[in-house]
Amino acid sequence: MSTFEKRGRLRAPTANRPKNDAVLTRERQQSSWLNRAAAGVTPIAASLALVWLATIALVVIGSFVPLNLAPLVYMLPVVLAATQWGLVAGLVASFAGAAAADFFFYPPLYSFWLDNRQDVIDLLLYLLVAIVTSNLADRLKREADTSKRREKEIGELHAFSQALATCLTSRDLIFAVQDYLSNTLQYRAVLVAAEPVDFGPAVDGATVPDEVRREAANLQAANNAAAATVTDAGTGKAWLVRIIAPEMLGYGAIAIELGLGSAESIRLIARHLEAVLEEAMVTFKHLKVKEAIEQATISRRTEILRDALVSGVSHELRTPLASIVGSCSVLNRMPAIANHPDSRALVEAIHDQASELDNQIRDVLDASRISAKGVQPRMEWTDPTDIVDAAVKQKARRLAAHNVTLDLQRDVPLVRVDAVLVEQALGQLLENAAKYSPAGSKIEIRSRCAQDYVELSVADQGSGLTAEEQKELGKRCYRSGRQAAVPGSGLGLWIATTFIAANGGSLHADSKGPGCGTTVSLRLPTVAADTPELVDALDD
Amino acid sequence: MTRVLVIDDEAQIRRFLRAGFELHGYTVLEAENAMAGLRAATIDKPDLIILDLNLPDLEGAEVLERIRSWSNVPIIVLSILGDEQEKVRLLRLGADDYVVKPFGISELLARGEAAMRRQLRSADREPVVRAGPLSIDLVSRAVSLSGKRVQLTRKEYTLMHTLATHAGLVVTHQQLIKEIWGARAGNIQYLRILVRKLRQKVEVDPTQPLLIVSESGVGYRLDLGTSGSLRGQNEIMSDTSCPA
Repeated sequence: MSTFEKRGRLRAPTANRPKNDAVLTRERQQSSWLNRAAAGVTPIAASLALVWLATIALVVIGSFVPLNLAPLVYMLPVVLAATQWGLVAGLVASFAGAAAADFFFYPPLYSFWLDNRQDVIDLLLYLLVAIVTSNLADRLKREADTSKRREKEIGELHAFSQALATCLTSRDLIFAVQDYLSNTLQYRAVLVAAEPVDFGPAVDGATVPDEVRREAANLQAANNAAAATVTDAGTGKAWLVRIIAPEMLGYGAIAIELGLGSAESIRLIARHLEAVLEEAMVTFKHLKVKEAIEQATISRRTEILRDALVSGVSHELRTPLASIVGSCSVLNRMPAIANHPDSRALVEAIHDQASELDNQIRDVLDASRISAKGVQPRMEWTDPTDIVDAAVKQKARRLAAHNVTLDLQRDVPLVRVDAVLVEQALGQLLENAAKYSPAGSKIEIRSRCAQDYVELSVADQGSGLTAEEQKELGKRCYRSGRQAAVPGSGLGLWIATTFIAANGGSLHADSKGPGCGTTVSLRLPTVAADTPELVDALDD
Repeated sequence: MTRVLVIDDEAQIRRFLRAGFELHGYTVLEAENAMAGLRAATIDKPDLIILDLNLPDLEGAEVLERIRSWSNVPIIVLSILGDEQEKVRLLRLGADDYVVKPFGISELLARGEAAMRRQLRSADREPVVRAGPLSIDLVSRAVSLSGKRVQLTRKEYTLMHTLATHAGLVVTHQQLIKEIWGARAGNIQYLRILVRKLRQKVEVDPTQPLLIVSESGVGYRLDLGTSGSLRGQNEIMSDTSCPA
């Protein structure tokens, strides 16, 4: 299986089956019984072959030298077999050597019978020495094997930690762990979903015994133990279950099949794997921090870019509009136009449309500023009367065709708000009132004070609101289907709502139904003013 | 003839300003960058300067400071900024007033004329300021509304006086507070209340002020009735400013 395919396999569960477990490694190569048997038979056959070679050698030597070298020469296959293939091979060589010596070199020749008692002692002595030698050679071999394996393991671990160190994202990390477990250690590992365990049919060969799943769930629930070894009652195979950081691709635990083996060997393997996973977790935590920093850098850059774009657009689009609006204001005063009603009306239309366009650009800029860094109001004591006055003046042209009435209380308390933002919000309400009510109809602006707020409301006699519109009103870019013919971006009221909310106030829309007019009110919180101090400050 | 210097890098803006000012009998000088503007301000001695803040070579505020270092010529700043803090800063640096793009020529004319009148007044010591039905005699400290004398407290008069000496021009909250209560005492809350009390004495309807007009986030202006309002809506395009 290529690396790419393996990665693809890992990617698949996150994309399509996020709740399912994911198989991390390919199946360990299960050797057939034939292979296993062959593996057992080969050393024995080889040992016997060695003994046979030794016999031939002895026959050849015997034709030149009269000495009985049999016990000495037969030691060679024993040592070779034991160091090469282990204890069993050594023992086989020992007994085969004794038998061959008896048969070929001790009288009576070509028989297993021994005439001489000295010969019996000789052979028994040989056998004893051979067995002891086999044992020693075998131990030597095992120690050599162990140190070789350790060396290999250390090499692999080193490679693994290097792989971890080069990980840039948590995905890289998963791949590194996967690669290590499957290609280096040849273990099958399964990521167990963090969600409550699902006993449904496992996909993609991701069969995890129920005991293992249950243990994974227990560990996640316990929230204190990090790892545990479980033995599957069905197959007798041991599994290592370890909790991993849940942010890691959304999986809660990893289960690794350790296979069959003695309790001691399973414990050793488990400890080794735990150390590997521990290292991966530490790297993962580092990566999280690094990723967070990178994320912050990216969003900061985006912000700078957006700011640059916003101010660039602001300048590039609004400067020509300023020329158009300004030029119209001059044209309109030129005698040729001023005394010609048709021309004058055209100039006014250009002027109004350009102003409208400018307003819309401003809405978009405001919206993008709000999205980028929220609203930062500059709270200051303000007279609500001034807010109403400024908003009405700001929208004077838009309101020119309507019958605007003001009903303001003389003693409205001062409010502590950002006057510019509230003024813009109220301006938006006036704009909407003018937009959605017929020319000549009444628009009433009222102020009212309650216990802890001042309410400024704009009531029109326009198209009103349906229940649905009332609910959706004020959402970003919401535009009612009924008003498709009226131009607008759906940003205005959202901006107004946001601005008022930033000032600690709220916006309410009320309508008796479609065609029955709309009243939109904004409430601004009031704070008790410090009266004695004020009297002091104002008295002469 | 009154000479106005327009310092703006946008040719289209300069063109309409030239047309607008010439229509009203001004002689227009143009400068397309800060250095040319500074040179013209020194050599041609204009009566009024219209200064755009977005200049290619120098920051508008810098130009303002340099001119102010040697001249009291009235300066009106053209701003596309919505930042009220920036407006206050420019006023502190010596701008007489500002208009926010997009603006109508009448608004700019009104500001320019108010600024020039203020300078004339300080030169000629012209004692009476008139704004609609209101007249303020700066020498006898008498305020009358449609010929009738209005009694003001000392602080109310100081407020009235400060606005009157800047008639038609914006005066920042800080400047007013400083004039009335001194540099350390006083705050905007006092000012709001004081303005309200003054409006009750001089405005026809204090809830719809025509004379003492608020500029959100910046200050107050004694309106001379030349710039538009809802009530003045018949004067089309007199005021198309929208504070950004």
